[in-house]
This record gives sequence, C-alpha cells and structure tokens, in this order.
Amino acid sequence: MRSVRVVVRSLSELCITVGVLLVLFVVYLLYWTGIRADSAADSEISRLQDRWSRAGATAEHGARRPAAYRDGAAFAVMYIPRFGRDWARPVLQNTEPGTLRRGLGHYSRTARLGERGNFAVAGHRRTHGDPFRDFPALRPGDPVVVSDGRTWYTYTLTRRPYRTLPDDTGVVAPLPAPLDPDAAPFRRPGRYLTLTTCDPEWGSSHRLIAWARLDATRPVASGKPAALRR
Amino acid sequence: MYGWIWRHLPGNAIVRALISLVLIAGVVFLLFQYVFPWAEPLLPFNDVTVDGA
Repeated sequence: MRSVRVVVRSLSELCITVGVLLVLFVVYLLYWTGIRADSAADSEISRLQDRWSRAGATAEHGARRPAAYRDGAAFAVMYIPRFGRDWARPVLQNTEPGTLRRGLGHYSRTARLGERGNFAVAGHRRTHGDPFRDFPALRPGDPVVVSDGRTWYTYTLTRRPYRTLPDDTGVVAPLPAPLDPDAAPFRRPGRYLTLTTCDPEWGSSHRLIAWARLDATRPVASGKPAALRR
Repeated sequence: MYGWIWRHLPGNAIVRALISLVLIAGVVFLLFQYVFPWAEPLLPFNDVTVDGA
C-alpha cells in the first residue's frame, strides 16, 4: 500500500509541477518578453538619440560619411503613425532572434536606409512587445517614417499587406518580386522599404508583407516631417 | 519530492517556509533568465522573416 501511495503522490507532484511550469511560461511570453522588449527598445532609442546629439555638432560642418551598420546594433528609429502616435521602435542590424528581442531587425543583405534598392525590416507580431501587432491595419498611403539621426525618410505604403509563404524571399529583393506576380508592388527599381512579420498572429505558416516607396527626405534639423506632426 | 525537500530543510517551520520562498524565487529566476529564452525559439512566434534572407 505504501508504494502505491508514493507512486500516486509523485505522479501528482509531477503534474502540478508541469502545470505551474506551463503557466509560468505563458506569463513569460505574454508579459515578461513585452516588459523586457519595451525597456530594451526605450534604452536603444535613448542611446541612439544621445549619440546623434553628440555627433550633431560635427555634422553641421559638412556631410559625415555614413557609418557601416554594426551587427546587432541600432542605427535608426522607425515611426508608424497607424500603429499609434507614440509608436516608435529602434531598427537594429540583422534579423537574429536576439536582435529582434530588442527592436526591429534590418535584413543585413538588403539596401541601407534611403538608398536605392529595398530597405527590408522584420518585426515581431506577437510577444516581445508586439511591435507589429496591428500589421493588418496598414493601408495604402500610410506613412512609415525612419530617422537615422541626420535625415527623416518618409516612405508611403503602396498596398494592403500581402500574405505569402515563408519561403517567398523575393519580397525583400531590390525590386520586390513576390511569388504571386500580380502582387508585385513596383515596376522599376527605386528606393523601397519592406516590412515583414508572421501570420497568423500566433503562428508561423505565413508571412505578412508591406511595401512602401520613399516619398520625401528632410534633414533632421528642419524638424519632424508632416506625417509625424498630425 | 516536495515533502522530501521540506523534511531536509533546516530550522523550524517559519525558517523552512522562508528558505522555500527563496528557493522558489531562484527557480523562477533561472527559468525566466535562461530556460524560457532558450525554449522560446522552438515555438512559432519568432518566425517573422522570410527564410534565407
């Protein structure tokens, strides 16, 4: 009888332990990653702004040479008014999981910000601060503003988010070439931006893609672009 | 298992309860700091890029 009791007790303790672990993991995913990501994003943005304001004085004397993007380091701040007035996220170089925990990730092999080609950026839809949670709400004409400390780049979305498969790598090509040719947003080369995230919200079977074209640039010294002043 | 740990903790019930709380806090810290970040990429929420790019 005693051994039966030990087995039953051990089994119930195991079940309780697993249950508590699962609950803790959900708490970690839903709350903790968000708290960590928000504070990481805030500190990346304030670090960038510190660096920019220190570099500002030297920038007055002529164009600084653009610095190479350092792997895993933030180099720009993105603003998408559609996601909320206060929505601002740092853009970091590369799309490793550790990088995406701190902000948006720039596909290393794609063009630099504002240059000819395709500046492609990935972000979490859910967990880690949910930066791209409202991705499906994006509409043609929505501005996406990115600042690298010297220039405001205002991109304008060209169409509703395009849903595709994870292996559709053409979407981040210099001239985006999705699997579905009808979805191709542009005809000729230019200065483009691509945003990618996962779809459905909690899954990974598909990706959501949004494309934008560079509409306007404006020196940081002349103040925020119109898209952010509304 | 929990009974075994409880019996092997030193001190009276209050001391044991305090030590248990510290142990629980330590385990939760290890989980949040190391185990969960490791386990998380095994779930699908991290796949936000198009493959190979």
